[in-house]
Amino acid sequence: MNTPLIKTENLTKIYGRGAAEIRALDGVDFEIESGEFVAIIGASGSGKSTLMNMLGGLDRPDLGRMFIAGQDLGQMSNKALAKFRNETIGFVFQQFQLLPKKSARANVMLPLQYRRPRREDEKALAEQSLARVGMSDRIAHKPTELSGGQQQRVAIARALVDAPELLLADEPTGALDSKTSTDVMALLKKLNAQGITIVLITHDADIAAYATRIITMRDGKITADERTEKAP
Amino acid sequence: MRHFIAAYVSLVSRPFRTLLTMFGIVIGVAAIYAMISIGNGAKKMIIHSLDGINTRSIAITPIWTENKASRRTERRPFSEADIEEISRIEGVESVSGENSKEFSVAVPGADLKVGIDGSDAFYLRTKSMTLKLGRNLNETDLQSKALVAIIGSSVAQSLFGTNHPIGETVKIDKIPFTVIGVVEKHETNLSSRRDENKFVLIPRTTARARLMGGHASVKNHVEGITVIFEREQDFSRIEDDIEHLLRYTRGLLDSDKLNFRMFNFAAARNQMMQVQRVLSLLLGSIGTIILIVGGVGVMNIMLVNVTERTHEIGLRLSVGARRSDILWQFVIEAILLCGLAGIVGLGLGWGIIAVAEIIGEFKMDTGWSVAALAFGSSLFVGLIFGYLPARRASRLHPVEALRHE
Ligand SMILES: Nc1ncnc2c1ncn2[C@@H]1O[C@H](COP(=O)(O)OP(=O)(O)O)[C@@H](O)[C@H]1O
Ligand SMILES: [Mg+2]
Repeated sequence: MNTPLIKTENLTKIYGRGAAEIRALDGVDFEIESGEFVAIIGASGSGKSTLMNMLGGLDRPDLGRMFIAGQDLGQMSNKALAKFRNETIGFVFQQFQLLPKKSARANVMLPLQYRRPRREDEKALAEQSLARVGMSDRIAHKPTELSGGQQQRVAIARALVDAPELLLADEPTGALDSKTSTDVMALLKKLNAQGITIVLITHDADIAAYATRIITMRDGKITADERTEKAP
Repeated sequence: MRHFIAAYVSLVSRPFRTLLTMFGIVIGVAAIYAMISIGNGAKKMIIHSLDGINTRSIAITPIWTENKASRRTERRPFSEADIEEISRIEGVESVSGENSKEFSVAVPGADLKVGIDGSDAFYLRTKSMTLKLGRNLNETDLQSKALVAIIGSSVAQSLFGTNHPIGETVKIDKIPFTVIGVVEKHETNLSSRRDENKFVLIPRTTARARLMGGHASVKNHVEGITVIFEREQDFSRIEDDIEHLLRYTRGLLDSDKLNFRMFNFAAARNQMMQVQRVLSLLLGSIGTIILIVGGVGVMNIMLVNVTERTHEIGLRLSVGARRSDILWQFVIEAILLCGLAGIVGLGLGWGIIAVAEIIGEFKMDTGWSVAALAFGSSLFVGLIFGYLPARRASRLHPVEALRHE
């Protein structure tokens, strides 16, 4: 196999000091290949979100190293990290995190606002991305005019705009009912089939079942890592 | 540009808060604009008021004083000898003495009450006047107490109309005088007479002997002296010399109060300018203080803004905004807020100036530079007071910001 998309070595994050010390991540080692669909499961407080923020360049580890798409994140400046988040990563959050006063298209264009150099086809890219998640007919709608599932689709479109290498989703169905959850997961599955690597956090085994690999965490450590060859 | 549009959208989406915050800046800018304009207008007026006046002159007049027994003493005039002495002081260009009184001046068919100035050849020069026709007084006129008169342009107009007055006879208090000169119309904004061109100049000796005389005590008296000196910077030295001299000739002790007064237009102007400067500074400071208070309001509201939008900041960071992008976003928003307030403030200031011009009856100086200064100061306030909240926004940790509720 060629070099993995993600590789971590002894990844450690410590909150608090002394007696109050919490190892949110405690020596995490794993590799993820390009094109995988990985679910990270574990109880609340097991360190899933901390790991995800680390992978997305939103936070820095206290110990250990990680390489994503050939880049050593520990060595990167704040500027380089911003560029990395902008071009390499797409985030999907539990609470959608859409700007309430902006249209769906404007929300999807947000990452492009920080692209250097600026692209001239921002609108077209945003519309393409909305088309990929089946929201072409809601381009001008504001988040308040959309259902939860639709909002999460717009958020996914924002994460996808201009083809990032890695999609990170932290409990993307956590705020959705089961019917809509199924729709969103089907969409992610489809996108993965189109070639995009996805790392998804959940504490729901049914949701994790959509993935091709499940990593289980507990107290900041990986306790299980299994591939499921089950058909979607 | 894009940043400005984004900032504008953000501001208009909270119109009430934006307007309230703008209030302090609006008032501050209006105050600075109006007050500097009024100050500059006052300065121009002061300078203008001295047009046509010789600033290298000192006017000396006797005044009432109280002596040690608290008894009022007579206004004690000067003498011909004083004029002689003063003209010998170094740096003095010319000295003229003057005795004035009002008399009727008549030609056949016309009669007029006019101030008669008994003076000398230096009279015109000390008043910055020039002859239009004829000749000036000379030493011979004074020595011989000649019955000659030089008339102001208003007098010439009233008595002779368009006729040529030189060589004509006018009767001053029924005594016939020959007109030897007509003075060019003179315009100043500061004059002791209502019409400064309405006067008749005759030799001082003649005035004493024929018009104001009779009294033995009046023989040598001079009621007013005007001194012209060569260079403006010699003023205080010459003033000291004159004071010293007159104290001596008038027998004053060092402890006595002066029983005469010296007046210099330049010094008076400088004093007025000084007052105006202090006033301008005061008014400007008031404007600046209001602006600073407004700026603190802006800072406060921007801090609230940052707190409210912590989530948004976290999101922007997560999709790839640099810290500097966030910093600029909020700085520009503060600058735009203050800039809009600045424009409104200029409008308000302009209104205040217009009203002040009507009430105060003088022209303000509303230059572009003043408007630019007032507007610029609003942008500056936006930058200064917007920076701290913007910096706070840009320092937020993306994960904490996203988690913030
Ligand atoms: N900013 C923080 N300060 C202190 N402790 C934190 C902070 N963020 C996370 N933690 C702790 O780290 C552990 C892992 O948290 P998290 O990664 O959010 O878990 P999960 O997403 O699996 O629920 C928890 O014990 C949590 O309390
Ligand atoms: Mg979590």
